[in-house]
Amino acid sequence: MLQINNLHAEVDGKPILKGLTLAINPGEIHAIMGPNGAGKSTLAYTLGGRPGYEVTGGSVRFNPNAPYSGEGRSVGDAEQGSGLRRSTEDDGIDLLALEPHERAAAGLFLGFQYPVEIPGVSNVQFLREALNAQRKARGEEPLSAADFLKVARAQADALGLNLDMLKRPVNVGFSGGEKKRNEMVQMGIIDPKLAILDETDSGLDIDALRIVGEGINRIMRKPDKAVLLITHYQRLLDYVKPDFVHVLAGGRIVRSGGPELAHELEREGYTQVAA
Amino acid sequence: MLSLPTIREEAWRWADLAALPALAEASPQGSVPDVSHLWIGKGPRLLFIDGKLQASASRPDGIALGAVTATTDHALGAFANGKTGWTLSLGRDHAPSATIEIIHVGTGGASHLPARIALAEDAQASVVETFVGDGWANRLTAIDLASSARLMRAIRILSSSGFVSLREEAKVGENASLTATVLGLGGAGTRIDAAVSLTGEGAYGEVGGALLARGEQRHDAAVVIRHAAPLGTSRQLWRAVADDKATASMAARAEVARDAQKTDGEQSLRGLLLQRAATINLKPELEIFADDVKCAHGATVGELDANALFYLESRGLPPALAEALLTRAFVADAIGRIGDEAVRDAFSKDAEAWMEGAL
Repeated sequence: MLQINNLHAEVDGKPILKGLTLAINPGEIHAIMGPNGAGKSTLAYTLGGRPGYEVTGGSVRFNPNAPYSGEGRSVGDAEQGSGLRRSTEDDGIDLLALEPHERAAAGLFLGFQYPVEIPGVSNVQFLREALNAQRKARGEEPLSAADFLKVARAQADALGLNLDMLKRPVNVGFSGGEKKRNEMVQMGIIDPKLAILDETDSGLDIDALRIVGEGINRIMRKPDKAVLLITHYQRLLDYVKPDFVHVLAGGRIVRSGGPELAHELEREGYTQVAA
Repeated sequence: MLSLPTIREEAWRWADLAALPALAEASPQGSVPDVSHLWIGKGPRLLFIDGKLQASASRPDGIALGAVTATTDHALGAFANGKTGWTLSLGRDHAPSATIEIIHVGTGGASHLPARIALAEDAQASVVETFVGDGWANRLTAIDLASSARLMRAIRILSSSGFVSLREEAKVGENASLTATVLGLGGAGTRIDAAVSLTGEGAYGEVGGALLARGEQRHDAAVVIRHAAPLGTSRQLWRAVADDKATASMAARAEVARDAQKTDGEQSLRGLLLQRAATINLKPELEIFADDVKCAHGATVGELDANALFYLESRGLPPALAEALLTRAFVADAIGRIGDEAVRDAFSKDAEAWMEGAL
């Protein structure tokens, strides 16, 4: 579904990603862990197409319709799970050639570490416009206001958010936890093929962490979907079990393994494991 | 020979009246666009074409036609003073059956039309005016609100070309309230002038709006609210959006006289530049002679928030839609000051249509 090859990217002329290679197949959940400054958020923004994140080398292919093969789910097999493993799927599209909104329409969802507050723009209004813009780009019929509200209500309920909150301006006056839950509501409504979730667990208390974790599983744990979880800590991985864990340090993946790698990191720290 | 103020006068420094001499000489073309979609409600209405009442399309319902004379020394307002115009005069505790709507259509010439709105004690009215077409529409409106009277004004300038100049002069009595919201868009140049005097204790005066400019268009608003009595409240909330090489200017002034204690004044001027070649001028001014007053003021100019744009685009909104959504949000609080929901919706739709054309 996603094939990142030797990706180099810089911000303000400063190289951050320095040859990152990673393959994600349908049905898989990958966790990327790493110390501060390793390039985790840069990876997320680069894949999302944020202006200012300059790709200087490498390629990213995205195939939202890649067939589920079951291959690569041999969890714990460090060789199989290596970030260097070649994808067997179709090449797909050149993700880096697309504008941010085209990436979204192709099936990519970016969960923000710091969801943006937008005064004056209501959640439901913008989400409906966004969803219908995506549907239009895919040649699908727009969703009526009534149908949209039905979907929005179901997703809000599942994440423990009141629909009235979704009628308010985007993230304005939301607590940190509510913002993250709102990201998951948006993900549920948009129903993407690939979710890149940038520190979705930061700022969450234990209960919210469980609700968000369950949301990720419910929405994304499917044979034709995949998730790239970017996280600092192991705790979200108690709820969302990754098939592969990668350590990102110095702009590249320095180690890959199964879920046990996350525990090892938690025990021994990044310095030890990444060395 | 038309005698016009020059930009050397401080109050006119951002005005561009260069088109007026030619427009003053131009003849009306007489081709009237269909305006039926511009009526918002079913209440009293007046249709003026080139400043002349079209009786067959109007329902004056108590609004009188005749000479209107005010004591103005305003350079443009003076052109309309003394001419035939309309008068809304309401007795104590009276109110019209519904919102009064006035549509001004210009067909290419110049029209100078005065108006008077006089509300006796406890009377109230809502008056909406719409400007469309071409040419120069010059208006003078004298407003007199007796104690506890309430007047709501909403004015939209949708003209395709030419110039629209408005001069409002208001006296607001004890506990009376005047709220005026102006939406300026379309292709005409504008000059929006208002002088509101809060003459009674506890009076409320609000003048604000949204100016949306593109091309080489120029919008210019200059508003003075004078607190002449204690316990008055004033609000001046303006939003300006400038695209291309357009210029939008807003000068808002609050004056607080020596005995206008406990005045509560607020000015919020914000500008949004959609292009770097566009210009926004903001001038918030306070002149305070009383010592126990609260006057908040703020003026900022910026561009669309890049973080918000990327956030919206990452959810699938094409850039033009994302920009339109943020621009709409930017002007929403100005248009949101309109109390009448149907009027507010109509004005919002006009602003939205402008953005969809602009972005």
